[in-house]
Amino acid sequence: MNARAVAAWSAACLVIVLFTTNPAYKAMVLAAAIASLAAGAGWQRQRGLLVGITLIAAFATALNFVSAHLGTTVVFSLPDQVPALGGPYTLEALAAGVSGGLTVAAAVAAAAPFSLLLASHEVMDALPSSLSRTGAAIAASLNLVPTVASSFVQVSEAQRLRGWRPRGPRSWVEVVVPVVLTSVEGSIQLAESMDARGFASGPRTSFSRVPLRTSDWILVGAAAAAVVGFIASHAAGWAVDWYPYPTLNLPAIDVRPLAACLLLFTPVVTWRSRA
Amino acid sequence: MAIARLSDLTYWYPGAGEPALNRVNLDIGDGLTVVAGPSGGGKSTLLRVLNGLVPHFHGGRISGAAEVDGMDVITTPTRLLARTVGFVFQDPELQTVYDAVDREVAFGLENMGMPPREMADRVQEALHAAGAVHLSGRRVRTLSGGERQRVALASALAMRPRLVVFDEPTSQLDPEGAQMVLEAAVQLVTDGRAVVISEHRLERLLRAADSLVLLEEGMATHADPRVFRLPSGALAPAPRARSASVAWSLDRVTAGFDGRAVLEDVHAAGHTGEVVALSGPNGGGKTTLLRLIAGSLAPMVGKVERRPGRISYLPQNPTALLHRPTVRAEVSLTLDRAGADESPDVILQELGLLHVAGRYPRDLSCGERQRVALAAVLAGQPELVLLDEPTRGMDDAARGALVRLVTRLRDGGSAIVIATHDAELRSALADRVLDVSAGLVTETAQEAVSA
Repeated sequence: MNARAVAAWSAACLVIVLFTTNPAYKAMVLAAAIASLAAGAGWQRQRGLLVGITLIAAFATALNFVSAHLGTTVVFSLPDQVPALGGPYTLEALAAGVSGGLTVAAAVAAAAPFSLLLASHEVMDALPSSLSRTGAAIAASLNLVPTVASSFVQVSEAQRLRGWRPRGPRSWVEVVVPVVLTSVEGSIQLAESMDARGFASGPRTSFSRVPLRTSDWILVGAAAAAVVGFIASHAAGWAVDWYPYPTLNLPAIDVRPLAACLLLFTPVVTWRSRA
Repeated sequence: MAIARLSDLTYWYPGAGEPALNRVNLDIGDGLTVVAGPSGGGKSTLLRVLNGLVPHFHGGRISGAAEVDGMDVITTPTRLLARTVGFVFQDPELQTVYDAVDREVAFGLENMGMPPREMADRVQEALHAAGAVHLSGRRVRTLSGGERQRVALASALAMRPRLVVFDEPTSQLDPEGAQMVLEAAVQLVTDGRAVVISEHRLERLLRAADSLVLLEEGMATHADPRVFRLPSGALAPAPRARSASVAWSLDRVTAGFDGRAVLEDVHAAGHTGEVVALSGPNGGGKTTLLRLIAGSLAPMVGKVERRPGRISYLPQNPTALLHRPTVRAEVSLTLDRAGADESPDVILQELGLLHVAGRYPRDLSCGERQRVALAAVLAGQPELVLLDEPTRGMDDAARGALVRLVTRLRDGGSAIVIATHDAELRSALADRVLDVSAGLVTETAQEAVSA
């Protein structure tokens, strides 16, 4: 699996989901991303991601529902005197919230292969040679993340047994400060180790880059075709935008932009399972 | 012929009043040089001079001269010295850049700008020299501590350094992992490289050493490793106390993470006034057992019971706890929370820390920090004491102080559980030993474990 091919596919998903306001096409992109991740990582490994994007989408939906008092189909109302929450709650605001939630969920799922399917050095290799040094530093930082996470668990457990109790934001200082200090010290030790192996001593080379194989080229081609096809459909008036206000209406669906979105399912075929 | 020469070298860390190295004169030749001395004596600083991390990375003031393989350390940056001096650090988890073994070994070669087609052979050569060929193709996160240190060694060797420096490479490892790394270090000498290694556990190294440097309060002296006699070192066994009532118990407990059992069907108990030691390899489940007893981890099956009262828990990386501005404040925090009417200086005195009571804990040496963390969790008279590898990075004096402190707590009625690879500590303190291995907990004879 080549990181540049993965990047091309992710970019295509993001372009389409940010370009259209039509929730039907956004849902297609989200479905393509989830199916592709399942093919590459398996359902078990993306369980946490699915929970996360569901929560994010639910939050985005709820936020719009309670804050946008627009539209004509009123579900219920709160008195205007209620600060921030008062006013009519409409079906249109709820639908717009769902559409926004789909955008966020699809965007997160489209970017997820970089953490779920690729090692940090594979992502780094996708960068241009001029960014190789920066990439190595980023790869090293990413390797510290699990250490920081386990440090947080360890420190909070030990401080709890030492008598600490979470009582408001200020009390977290006793956990957060040691974790931050330990992380900084860990970063310093890692930097020492990199310095001791000649980091930044001159132009770098790369041990091995994963070549673009046929399956990667197929994915790049499909991603490009999806973007071109969708934008062309939009320009031709087939991929109609959707706006729920002032009265809710169903989004229009056309087979041509839908076919462009279907190309985003290509990884289901090309990605071998890394589960 | 000397590969490294230090002449009248004195070094102060930034803002420090006292020098970390004080007029050090040293010739390091081929073969194996062992650097020994108490915690905070300047061992790590001395080793870092050899590859220029001191002064180039750490800053500070330096006087005198230091030369490695004809290069002036004070004017040559570390990244250039890296081609001559390989360095293996203490913590195997904090020296890894990539998650793939081969790629990690190649990191230095990438930095040298070596053409990719030449790297594969070099990587295999380095893995072979470090005794780690079988790890090729593995993910670093799946390796044990000993295996990780071998990968770190291979990563240093890939650049074909003339001198290889090890900074307490076994302090985080179980006996098997430590043996693995020390054998690799000794093999390097046989292969014709100069090796400098700092260690607290000298027994195994002195037999192979060509030179011994003793470092105390920043001052270095040479000793002959063939005639050098280790300080009695052996920890005096504490007189056994008679245990009383049950303080904690696990009844048919299965526990683990993400639905995966790490411990299965455990039946064990400990008593007030008793020290129970947990032995076994890294990853065997010792920490999981401690967390179960502490109540930090809920069992999947079975029942865990403990007497009510204060629990003291020293985690594997205890220095992560430290966050107060002074050592004394760190101990006072625990005492205040416990409502104990005791001066923090009592335990600081016991652990030999009174002279650093006013200092910032994280400015201290690794071994001193470990003792501060111990003081911070053990202050007062906790009912249940759980210690996870408490002697990591400690010198013999500090281990002796720990034995005395644990004995006092035990005599005061605390129930104590210690997970440790340190066979001497077990011999000195343990009333019973539980072997925790491959998810099973079995009672073991003290002699069998020590052997």
